[in-house]
Amino acid sequence: MKILVTGASGATARLVASAPIGQDHEWVGVDPRPLKSAGYFPGKTHVINYASRQLDDLMKQEQFDAVLHLGRIRDSQNYSHHHRFELNVVGTQRLLELCEKTKVKQLVVLSTYHVYGAHRLNSLYLTEDSPLRAIQTYADLSDAVELDHASTTFMWKVPHVTTTVLRPVNVIGRHVKNTLTSMLKAGLCPRMVGFDPLMQFIDEKDMARAILSVLGAPEPGVYNVAGEGVIPLSQVIAQVGARSVPVPPLVTSGMIRAIAKMLGVRFPAYFVDFFKYPVILKDESFREKFQYQPKVTTLQALSNLRPL
Amino acid sequence: MSFSNSLDQWIKGLKNATEYDVINARIDDLSLELNSAGFDRWGLHKESLRSIAPVIHVLYRHYFRVKVSGIQNFPEGRVVVVGNHGGQLPIDALMVGLASFMEASPPRICRAMIERWIPDIPFISTLFNRMGAVVGDPKVCRDLLQHDQPVLVFPEGARGTGKLYKDRYQLQKFGTGFLRLALESQAPILPVAIVGAEEVYPGVGNIKSLAKILGAPYFPVTPLFPWLGPLGLVPLPSQIHVRFAEPIRIDADPLAPEEELQKHVQHLKAIIREQIQVGLRERGEGIFP
Repeated sequence: MKILVTGASGATARLVASAPIGQDHEWVGVDPRPLKSAGYFPGKTHVINYASRQLDDLMKQEQFDAVLHLGRIRDSQNYSHHHRFELNVVGTQRLLELCEKTKVKQLVVLSTYHVYGAHRLNSLYLTEDSPLRAIQTYADLSDAVELDHASTTFMWKVPHVTTTVLRPVNVIGRHVKNTLTSMLKAGLCPRMVGFDPLMQFIDEKDMARAILSVLGAPEPGVYNVAGEGVIPLSQVIAQVGARSVPVPPLVTSGMIRAIAKMLGVRFPAYFVDFFKYPVILKDESFREKFQYQPKVTTLQALSNLRPL
Repeated sequence: MSFSNSLDQWIKGLKNATEYDVINARIDDLSLELNSAGFDRWGLHKESLRSIAPVIHVLYRHYFRVKVSGIQNFPEGRVVVVGNHGGQLPIDALMVGLASFMEASPPRICRAMIERWIPDIPFISTLFNRMGAVVGDPKVCRDLLQHDQPVLVFPEGARGTGKLYKDRYQLQKFGTGFLRLALESQAPILPVAIVGAEEVYPGVGNIKSLAKILGAPYFPVTPLFPWLGPLGLVPLPSQIHVRFAEPIRIDADPLAPEEELQKHVQHLKAIIREQIQVGLRERGEGIFP
């Protein structure tokens, strides 16, 4: 199969394309970011803004069998909110349109569990039909919710492209660079005093396996993807050997945003609530449908982050 | 040498009095599916339980001198435990929880369905979660029952806990949500009457305006609270009786209209009311009978 992967400079794309079961396929990677790690991606790579015409040319020329949309730009990376929206929402819409036009057979979209939002009204074990409360509280997450929404709508509207939307929990590992992993690797992680929410993690290799298992057995739908078990933040920090930075419970996301701006660092303010309320997903339907079992336990995945 | 001997003796004595070893053996006997980090699916942690249970057990055994009857009625597997609620703070839930943990064989951990505003309270939310309590939500309740867990519900909710001393043991309105969930999961219902817990914090008033500001369902006034500040939170040492009735299996459609299910709920309330009366006769009325 000829497969297009977005977010090719990211760790997940690389792990998927270079996995042993992925070697039978022909991979083409795109990313709007400079491809620092291009050497690691086993295939041709292009630096392309998803919202630009270049994507049209590439997709029409190459006639892909499948598209893996793994390239959501996160808040932690150096993009303005406006630019991020352009890439994540407008870019995704263009990609979806092109999937339909160029007769791509299968599409896999990597969304995130952040779309459910950290909210006190969330129940433990959120199912895929739970309300996406993220936008209710944080405009910062609106692009993630829109991306998810556009993809699920596309799944219903264009049935001849088998579309699967995955909403994974925190992906961790040596190579991925999301906010939580970066903090844990740096050895410092905020903790809200008096709160110790349960969290879920999936190892980066398990994440790659999950994506490949969808590729091997096309099945439309929206699925939560999680790792082995739940673990509270305090234990996460202890396992990684990091230190916790106590944050008073009355701190709001607005304050975090102001402090981050003052210090000149980027920190997704919505994380405040993820350090307060648990956001736990029910992943049974993914496990059943794709015969998937995570191989790395939560403890192993966390101890892999320990500094060598 | 003699000092360390006497210290050893003292610690041994304390361990015996608090049944420390018994509690630990019961924690070992709990059949729970734990993940690699030692937590169960809903956040219960055996190791945390080892430090929390002995403290609550002192309250259970020596402070509230809890008397349990009908523990043999506690069924194996999934069950919805339904009780009367009162006394401002959920001391009744704690005591039912400890009764099922200390007296049932094998020991069981009742999963208390807690109020939706509890996750906003620092420390308490974490403590409750480690002990196995979860936020009361139909989805979680269904999940727990599917995994054969005993679920503890107080259908009166804040209507029950917030009621005043003069209204004690008058069952408030029960919803039908718990019954629908039990029917759906084909779980039996275990009625339980808690007598004595409604006297622990005798409510004489409710400052509604303050409750509104705090976002709480009520703000209780007792003879000691809020006048004595934190001291007012000390519960009165009222003896507590926990009476488990025989489990009942109801044959009805979980989607039946409200009125039809209310008939079954009324039957269940009658059983709880009857057990309360027996308990009150046995225990005597008032704070210090």
